Amino acid sequence: MKLLFVSKLDRFARAVSTITKYVQTGKALGHEVSVFGEQSSEIPLVSYSLDVKRFDFVIFVVYMPADFPDLPYLAQLLDGMPKERRVIIDCYGRYNETIRVEHDFNHLEKMDGHQGWEWIEAFQAVSNKILQPTLKPLRSDVRSFLFHAYDPAGVVCRHSSPTEAAKAWSGTTNGTKPYGLTYVGNNWQRWTQMRRFLEAIESLKSDLGPICIAGWDWDRRPDWAIQLGVQGADVDPVLLERLGVERRNAIPFDEVRKFLGQGRFSPIFHRPLFNQLGIVTNRTFETFCADTIPLLMLSENLVEAMYGPEARLLAPGDDLAGRLKDMMRHPEVYWEAVLRTRTHLAEHHSFERRFKELAAILES
Amino acid sequence: MQMGAAGTKSMKILFVTDRRVDAGSIQAVAGHVRAGNELGHTVAVYGHPEPNFPGVRFSSDVAAFDYVVFIFESKLRWLDGLQLAHILSAVPRKQRAIVDADGMYNQRITVDGYDHNHLNDRERWVWLTTFDYLADKILQPTLKPHEPGVIPLLFYGYDPTAQVKPATDAPKRFDIVHVGHNWWRWREVSNSLLPAIERVRAHLNGICFVGLWWDGVPSWAWDLGLEQAFCVDVDGLRKLGVQVKPAIPYSEVIPMMSAGRVNIMTQRPLFRRLKILTSKYFEIFCADTIPLVMLDPDHAELVYGPAGRDLALYDRIADKLLDALRNPQKYRASIEEVRHHLAAHHSYYNRVRELVKALEG
Repeated sequence: MKLLFVSKLDRFARAVSTITKYVQTGKALGHEVSVFGEQSSEIPLVSYSLDVKRFDFVIFVVYMPADFPDLPYLAQLLDGMPKERRVIIDCYGRYNETIRVEHDFNHLEKMDGHQGWEWIEAFQAVSNKILQPTLKPLRSDVRSFLFHAYDPAGVVCRHSSPTEAAKAWSGTTNGTKPYGLTYVGNNWQRWTQMRRFLEAIESLKSDLGPICIAGWDWDRRPDWAIQLGVQGADVDPVLLERLGVERRNAIPFDEVRKFLGQGRFSPIFHRPLFNQLGIVTNRTFETFCADTIPLLMLSENLVEAMYGPEARLLAPGDDLAGRLKDMMRHPEVYWEAVLRTRTHLAEHHSFERRFKELAAILES
Repeated sequence: MQMGAAGTKSMKILFVTDRRVDAGSIQAVAGHVRAGNELGHTVAVYGHPEPNFPGVRFSSDVAAFDYVVFIFESKLRWLDGLQLAHILSAVPRKQRAIVDADGMYNQRITVDGYDHNHLNDRERWVWLTTFDYLADKILQPTLKPHEPGVIPLLFYGYDPTAQVKPATDAPKRFDIVHVGHNWWRWREVSNSLLPAIERVRAHLNGICFVGLWWDGVPSWAWDLGLEQAFCVDVDGLRKLGVQVKPAIPYSEVIPMMSAGRVNIMTQRPLFRRLKILTSKYFEIFCADTIPLVMLDPDHAELVYGPAGRDLALYDRIADKLLDALRNPQKYRASIEEVRHHLAAHHSYYNRVRELVKALEG
């Protein structure tokens, strides 16, 4: 099968990591996977192509309007591939009625100039197959396809047992973790949860160790957000200073796992809209590849459905500080949960499995 | 396509245009909507209804139309991927056409080292490739396109029903009005028009320039390398007693022109070279004013008929301005003759029929 992905790849955001994995996995399974566009040296692992007619299917991975290519290429693309061979993966839940959760939203005209109807009508015009990375799409004409996946081969440290993992993690055999906690993500629709998280662990600051966050706009609310009156990029620099949180610029996708592994813990947040829609992201799975204990700041239902029963221990629920203390006291218990969850993810959510699911949808 | 009440084919045409209420081709679009209604065709603009566009029908049901006509002006990327994906998916290329309002589908042209269509070869390549991929037909509002394959379609037209009746009681607010944006116009205005006005300024009352960028070069012009396009001497205008007013919506253009005893139409050099028409060619004849067009008399005659020569402001500009203000009745006959010519040859009924024919061709 020859698949052509269409999306605006950015080394620091969105689906670059996942699409790169589809290119590799597809090749390993005997398929050809490319990204539409002129060859870019930024992401050498990905092959690009403009030769639309050479491919069997086109897969639009859409977060924002710019994920549809510019002119003249868009005309070439759409005229070159019939509608029945196009699929849209709707990563932000755009193909829904307008939804607001806290300050989060799936449509906001003042952000990108588009009202809800434009997303709905455009998607309907482009393809008959619209997929969303959630187990439960709201609309009956949307199919569930999680898209993002786990890469067992990408696990940074393959501990043979929870005991070994806990020893390494505690610094008895490996003192390479300068941080108590690391987080990678841009400051977009995350502050409400991040604030709650940081306030909950403030009392543990000395036991936990330094905290480091990497991503855009954690230093202050950006000017564009102030001008537009958008609150999704809120941040409280005073709180971050008080907790001594180190802030770094965004890091490229191929350095994320290594960076996360510099911390003993790493939380997984989903933005409020995603929590409501059950949408998963690359980070939902990738964090389990890093040499860290993931903290699943997600709903119980999602944790169980996505990660399996062993992952419940990694979801602190309302008592974050208490759970962290226990994790530091009994790391072996929690590393066992991490390793078992990795096994679950490898079995149920590998890229190989995901690729086959996609192929089945395309051929259906 | 369906059959209309009179047994004629009824066509549905959807314009896709950068919706600017005070610039571009929106007056022509409204003219096509009105004339289309009377001729049994459905003409609309892509999008949802907006109250500040009176007389314009909107629709987003792209698939319900027989043809989509993109109107491109000087900007290539006014549609983003989401809108384009919607339109291009719903309507195949053979049912898509482009009105190339600014003559971008041409070789690189630079007029007098000043006005130009493309900054460089790469930019030209992007425009031409885009047009070629986007649509089956390229229409230009000129009688003589330069590029092979381009279809001449004047597009802009005259609406006799928009004619303002002569005011008999209230005096005009201005002696001279000029409606148009300061976009590649300054060289002609500063070299020809303003010196002429200066010569006879003592004999003139109010003068008003209406439009964007007569009050200064926009800050972003330098970033785009377009500062020359907006060049203006604000102090010079002030010293000459030229009042500057901001741009007005298309629905106010003709009333504003009617506030002047004389109206002057200028045109950017590139358009003159390519003989491209614009809305102003016709709006100025709907207004209750003496229209004087800064065109060479041959071109004026070509568009307006023989009487158009009388209204061309080509040489002896100062004398002609004074003459028009002092002897308005002398111009009445020419104006009426031009209006008859426009109603016969350049009405929006003609334009819609020409468009239908071009799309079917």
